[in-house]
Amino acid sequence: MKLRGLQRVGDELAQAWIIVAKDIRVHYLRPGMIMFGFLMPFFMFFSFSVRRAMAAEQGVARLLALTTFFTAAAAGPFIIPLERRLGTYDRLLAAPMSLLTLLLSKTAVGAVFAMAVSAVSLLVGLIVFRVTIAQPWLLAAGAVLSSFSFSALGLIFGSIPTRNPGDVQMPSTLLRWGLLFISGVFVPLAEMSTGARLLAFVSPLTYAQDLMNHAVLGAAMLNPWLDLAVLLASGILCLLPPVWMHRRSRQLGY
Amino acid sequence: MNDAIRVNNLTKVFGPADSGVVAVDHISFDVRRGEVFGFLGPNGAGKTTTQRMLTTLLEPTEGSIIIHGHDLARDAYPVKRQMGLVPEESNVYTELTAWENLMFTGRLYRVSRAERTERAQHLLETFGLWEKRDVKAENYSKGMRRRLSIAMAIIHRPALLFLDEPTPGLDVQSARAIRDLIRQLNAEGTTIFLTTHQIEEANQLCDRVAIIKQGRIAAVDTPERLKAAFRRVQSVEVGLEPTAAQVSENSRASWAGVPGVTTAVKWGDKWRLYTEDPSVLLPQVLDHARANGLKVISLSTLGPSLEDVFLEITGQQVGAVRHETPPQPRQRGMKGGMGGKR
Repeated sequence: MKLRGLQRVGDELAQAWIIVAKDIRVHYLRPGMIMFGFLMPFFMFFSFSVRRAMAAEQGVARLLALTTFFTAAAAGPFIIPLERRLGTYDRLLAAPMSLLTLLLSKTAVGAVFAMAVSAVSLLVGLIVFRVTIAQPWLLAAGAVLSSFSFSALGLIFGSIPTRNPGDVQMPSTLLRWGLLFISGVFVPLAEMSTGARLLAFVSPLTYAQDLMNHAVLGAAMLNPWLDLAVLLASGILCLLPPVWMHRRSRQLGY
Repeated sequence: MNDAIRVNNLTKVFGPADSGVVAVDHISFDVRRGEVFGFLGPNGAGKTTTQRMLTTLLEPTEGSIIIHGHDLARDAYPVKRQMGLVPEESNVYTELTAWENLMFTGRLYRVSRAERTERAQHLLETFGLWEKRDVKAENYSKGMRRRLSIAMAIIHRPALLFLDEPTPGLDVQSARAIRDLIRQLNAEGTTIFLTTHQIEEANQLCDRVAIIKQGRIAAVDTPERLKAAFRRVQSVEVGLEPTAAQVSENSRASWAGVPGVTTAVKWGDKWRLYTEDPSVLLPQVLDHARANGLKVISLSTLGPSLEDVFLEITGQQVGAVRHETPPQPRQRGMKGGMGGKR
């Protein structure tokens, strides 16, 4: 019985990875993913950073937070409605695996994409701007946890019962922009008013930015362990609504 | 246990339970192991909704589904392992090649590397796709995608295969190849649940069929027994010169009085004359037209439509309702409930 349980866990992990590998092949080069996942964070960064006095390290920390956030959160709202429309999502839902495995695999798809794009940002920082990383392990942990958390956030929108990615992109983009402006990315936490800072603490992006500041600059406002804990917790919490929404979709017939 | 599927009191209501749309209304039936079971009905009747409930994609509002002894509501995992699904729209990954599609599905169902490689080659050869195995599916024709979709559904050798409208829109050769494959799979022991609105396809393939109409099972029987009912609803359709087609109630009575006509129905600009034997009626129709100075411009015999069969089975006389705007029983129409095809 125990062996069967272990076998099942092994199977589900393998299935999750198989879906991730397939999605990387099938979806990463789609125009929507390149636009919303790859180009958008760079556009945002340059829009708000060009001709502003900023150290290279500060710019890289900001870019890393932006790329993990925008890229990871872009995958779910794009891929799942598209797969629903093409009918391929039914193939996954009917496969012998749990809903949680499917959702974790879709979260990993966004997270891997975000980590890859963040690696590009990091390489640009290291090679072009000669930036040094103060705490590499925090950078690695921050990139993984931020990507996971933001991908799970995107999954909430991806789980809206619809077959049209356009229906999901609008609210998901609105939320991402909103979070961007309240999260201490463009205005540092230390320079915020008390009210704005309280609002910033609601956003997981605040903790990702703080963590990147720790990792790249070597200093930030919050405890890095708190940043890591909040990102992990928010990632787990963000998986709960998709579970409920998928069950709802199964009732509605999407 | 001899039943592959046992459905009891299955119901699906879209929207609030008391005021929503009832797509499937307390249906019960069994599918025996090793049989090809046809699930027939017009568009919007509840076929796809039922199939989606049987394949775990849709949650029933009420009732139970037992597949191979497992209650789907409590224990879907072992059922999913034994099940293959071919939806109406071929859901292959167009960015992947046929080989990659099969490898992905094989891995997803935890088929060993050696077996999935051997099986994929066998299936691609069987389906005539081996030469194109490294071509992306986006370059495939509709028939090729359909065949690949079926191959993906059976790579793990499912004991139970659900097929939703497998042949509409395909050329004659592809449709025949798919029917042959269904027979072959069944001969190898696979239970087939075939959803279709094509009577002839069901007739050729199915051991038994269920007819569903407006969410309710109207009949479950063998095709031969249903065909006995079909014979009574064959018809001859006659088109007349426009002047002659300006008909009155007298001409309805006139056509109904032709020997061999059981019912005469005005059908657009034509008359549909129901009969048990069209070959006997045809000369009678020509004689009648000649005697009344009517010029026939078209004449054709029609097999029974599913709607005709259904009306016959449920005891409603075909033609009893005089259609001012005739329905299109053989064409795809607007979907009825939310569970219809999208």
